[in-house]
Parts: sequence; C-alpha cells; structure tokens
Amino acid sequence: MTKLRNVAVVGFAQAPIVAADEHHTGPEMLYPVVQAALESAGLERSDVDYQCAGSSDYVDGRAFSFSQVLEVMGAWPPVQDSHVEMDAIWAAHLVWVKMQAGETEVAIVCGFGKTSEGSPAHVLNLQLEPFYAAAIGLDAASTAALQASAYMARSGADDRALAEIASKNRAAGAKNPDGQLREAATPEQLMATPWAVKPLREGYLAPIGETATCMVLAVEGRAEKICDRPAWIQGVDHRIELQALGARDLARSESTTLAARNAFEMAGLASASAADVVELGSTNPAEELILREALGLPASARAQGGPAINPSGSAQCANPLMNTGLLRLAEGFRQLSGRAGERGVPGAKRAVVHASAGHGLQQNIVWVLGTERRWS
Amino acid sequence: MSEPPKERVKYIDTNLNLPYHYYAGDYKALYLRALRDKKILGSRCSKTGKVFVPPVIASPESLAPCDELVELPHRGIVTTFCVVNVPVIGREIEIPYVVASVALDGADVSLYSLIQECAAADVRMGTRVEAVWKPDGERQGDHTDIRYFRPTGEPDAPFESFIHRL
Repeated sequence: MTKLRNVAVVGFAQAPIVAADEHHTGPEMLYPVVQAALESAGLERSDVDYQCAGSSDYVDGRAFSFSQVLEVMGAWPPVQDSHVEMDAIWAAHLVWVKMQAGETEVAIVCGFGKTSEGSPAHVLNLQLEPFYAAAIGLDAASTAALQASAYMARSGADDRALAEIASKNRAAGAKNPDGQLREAATPEQLMATPWAVKPLREGYLAPIGETATCMVLAVEGRAEKICDRPAWIQGVDHRIELQALGARDLARSESTTLAARNAFEMAGLASASAADVVELGSTNPAEELILREALGLPASARAQGGPAINPSGSAQCANPLMNTGLLRLAEGFRQLSGRAGERGVPGAKRAVVHASAGHGLQQNIVWVLGTERRWS
Repeated sequence: MSEPPKERVKYIDTNLNLPYHYYAGDYKALYLRALRDKKILGSRCSKTGKVFVPPVIASPESLAPCDELVELPHRGIVTTFCVVNVPVIGREIEIPYVVASVALDGADVSLYSLIQECAAADVRMGTRVEAVWKPDGERQGDHTDIRYFRPTGEPDAPFESFIHRL
C-alpha cells in the first residue's frame, strides 16, 4: 500500500437538527456553527487555508447557493474555496484529496441545506432519469420501498426484522442530544404505524430536517496540536452505481462492498466486524440490512458482540439533506475522540463510517477512522 | 447545427414545479419591516465598527457579530453605476435607465437601486442622491418600497469619500 499523508478530523460543530428553522437563513444557521467549530479547535479563521462546502442549489432554491455562505465561512480576504453539489461528506473527501496533494494543511468543511424552504420530495424526484423514472412521479420514499421490497423478497427478511432494526436505532437516537427523532419506540409500536410506501412504514422512515455543520480537518503535524484526540483517516473510498434503478440489483449494494474493500485495504482493517463502531448512512431499516450484508455485518438487530452499530441512531433518526453523511463522519470522530457523551462506546479505537447519495443507495462512501496514525 | 426535434416522440416536456417559501430570517425581517415604516436599518460590526446595509448578522470581513442595529439616513452617493439600454424582462422602465450602487451616508457597503428623475447622462460617480419612497399605505415591507433614488442637486462628493465603499 502506498504511503499516504496522515489526515485527521480535529473538530466539529452542528446546529440543532429541526424540521424548520423559521428564524434563520441558511448562512445565519451556519455562522455560529463555523465559529463553534473553530473555537472547539482553538483556531482563528486565518489558521484555515482551505474551505469546502456541500450543498444543493435545488434544495436551497437558488443558483450557486454555496456562494451565499462564503460570507459566514470566512472568505475575505479571498481564500481557496471549493464546493460539491453533494452531501458534505463528499466535501470532506475532496479536502482529504487536497491534503494528499499537499495543497492544504488545515481546512473546514461545511454542510447546509434549507430543506424546509422547498419541497424535498420534488427535488429528489429530479435526481432520477427524466424519461422513465422521474416522469412517473417517484420520490425517495418510493424508490426506498422498491429497494426494500427487492431485499425482503431475496433475503426473506420480514416486517418484524425491519421493525427491530428501526427500534434499535430509535433507542440509540433517544440518547443522542443532537438527534431530531429522540423518542424510543418498540418494534411493536413501529409495526403499528401506517404504511408510508409499503413495505416501508411511517415509523421506519427518517424525518427530513435541516441543520448546518462544520468539520475541521488537519494534516499530521498540525492535527495533534489542534486536537487532544484526533480521529485519523486510515482509509476511504467511494463508488457509484448506475442511475437507472432497473439496471442494478437493488437488493444488494455492490458499490458499498467495493468501497469498503478498498477502504479496509487502505486502512489495514480486516473487516467491518473488526472495528469498534460502525456508523451507517441508512435512512430506513431495509437500507441498513442491505448495508450490513454488504459490509459483512450481522443481519439481525438482536446479534450479540461485534462493533456497536449506529450509536447515534443513524440517519434513520435525522436526515438533514446535505449534512446527513457528514454527521456520520462526525459520529466517528465523536466516538473516537471521547466527545460522544453518554452514547460513547468505551475504548473505541476504530470506526467504520458510511454515507450514501442518490436513490436506493446509488453512491456509497466508506471511511475508516482510527485513534492511531495509519502511516509512519 | 441540426434543428431541434419537432416530433413529439423525440423529446418530452417536463414542467418542473419546485415551490419555495424563503424565510427572511429574524434579522432581515427587521430590515424589511422597517422599510414599511420608511426606515433603513443597517448593522454595525462589533469589531471594526463598519456598518452593513441590509443588516448582516456577522461581518463577512472580520467574521465578528454585527449585533447592533443602526438607522441610516435616506441619502447617499452614487459610487458606481451603469446605463441600461436593453429592455429587461419583467420591468417596465423607459430606457435608457441607470442602475447604481448607492453608498448611504454612514454605511460602509452600498445598496443597488435605480436612479430616476434625471437624464442617464447626468449621473456621475459622486452624484449625491436621496431615496424616493412608495407613499404611505403602499409600502409592503420589501425592497421595492424604495422606488428609486434621485439626485439632490448638491455638489458631487469627492472621490476619496466613497472609493472604499464601491
């Protein structure tokens, strides 16, 4: 394996995840978050030499939406800035690549998305192919249900299996002060909720919310001075599948398997089961079961031993578009750096973090974080 | 270049319907409400003292909070401007007309507005102008409550007085 530059997550802050913040604009939500992230890292804005945001013009309802937050990210005098029209976890990946290229040493990654100002169902429909898929009115819940149906038919997983996974996440989410859905629910309670899109019940689907996030990344030499317990990036890879839903096996996540294989090889991690924490970007229990299989993790919520899966409650308890993935990476950082509070996994040394984009787990990114540097 | 297809089977029409409901945010709402009351509000940077209008919660320059609201006069200086000679969709204004950057007295950044009640050729960098408002009862609390700015007839402001407020 090629020797890479050691890069770590050294700071993170977020706004509360809410259904609608009617009092602040997107930039106004982000401003205190950037300030808090810098403060938590003991940094001045001038210490940061690169910034990258993840956001969506369609979510925000304006062209070049990322440019509206430059004024709160600190872009004067002009700085190196970049943007991805994706969840901010992909902005973090871009920063990692820039750090490998030697172009930056300390960077901030911001996520924002004012989902309450628009119609996420309409926006996500437009992510589909316009002739055959978008035209029939599919939204994210419908494509997720198509996927769930395909998975259940192949694996034999039933409604109860989904309810148990969902219930486990709800119990974890109840302990996460930064979550949106913070009420535990039993499998029976969830199985009593109405169908959203069969075979997915309302109790299985993540609420779409909004927040703003800011993560600080730094290279070796800077990271250990900024953070007492940096979370070192030991491996990362992402893979994308075909857009057409019918052209891939919805019941499996081939791209997750491949991304994980590459990320684990980079990290020298035998398997996801060898990690202490696994944080998945699944927004419903069927996705989680597909991801568990792709990562070689147990297919049941009742399995004992192995890594703690979704200590944050996962994306199923909060899905603030454009931030959902970065929150998974933040959970990995919080768990490894002793910042996870009551839900902290004792002695956690390695975390596997996953996030997804597109309909039906179209694109998947897998990270391995560790308390130790990977390359010396 | 080939002609665009005319047969239905070669294309589809999609009418994208994306409704949005933008929140002004509490801070900008104060500004908009003040316009209805014929007042222009700005916010002062707690670190540099610079005044931003419309008000911002933080200075883009210093990143310090701008939590003090200040009321600004309705008068200012044309800093930079352009003369529009092409009709613009959705606006019924006689051409040519002037769009200018107007630095209000006491503000460190400028607003954009139309300049009317004078010939386009009579607008200069440094021309002193004042706001012309919609009448009482017609102001809605949006940016068109200021219909335009017009020259006051006073002597032009010296270049040095606005070069940093373009």
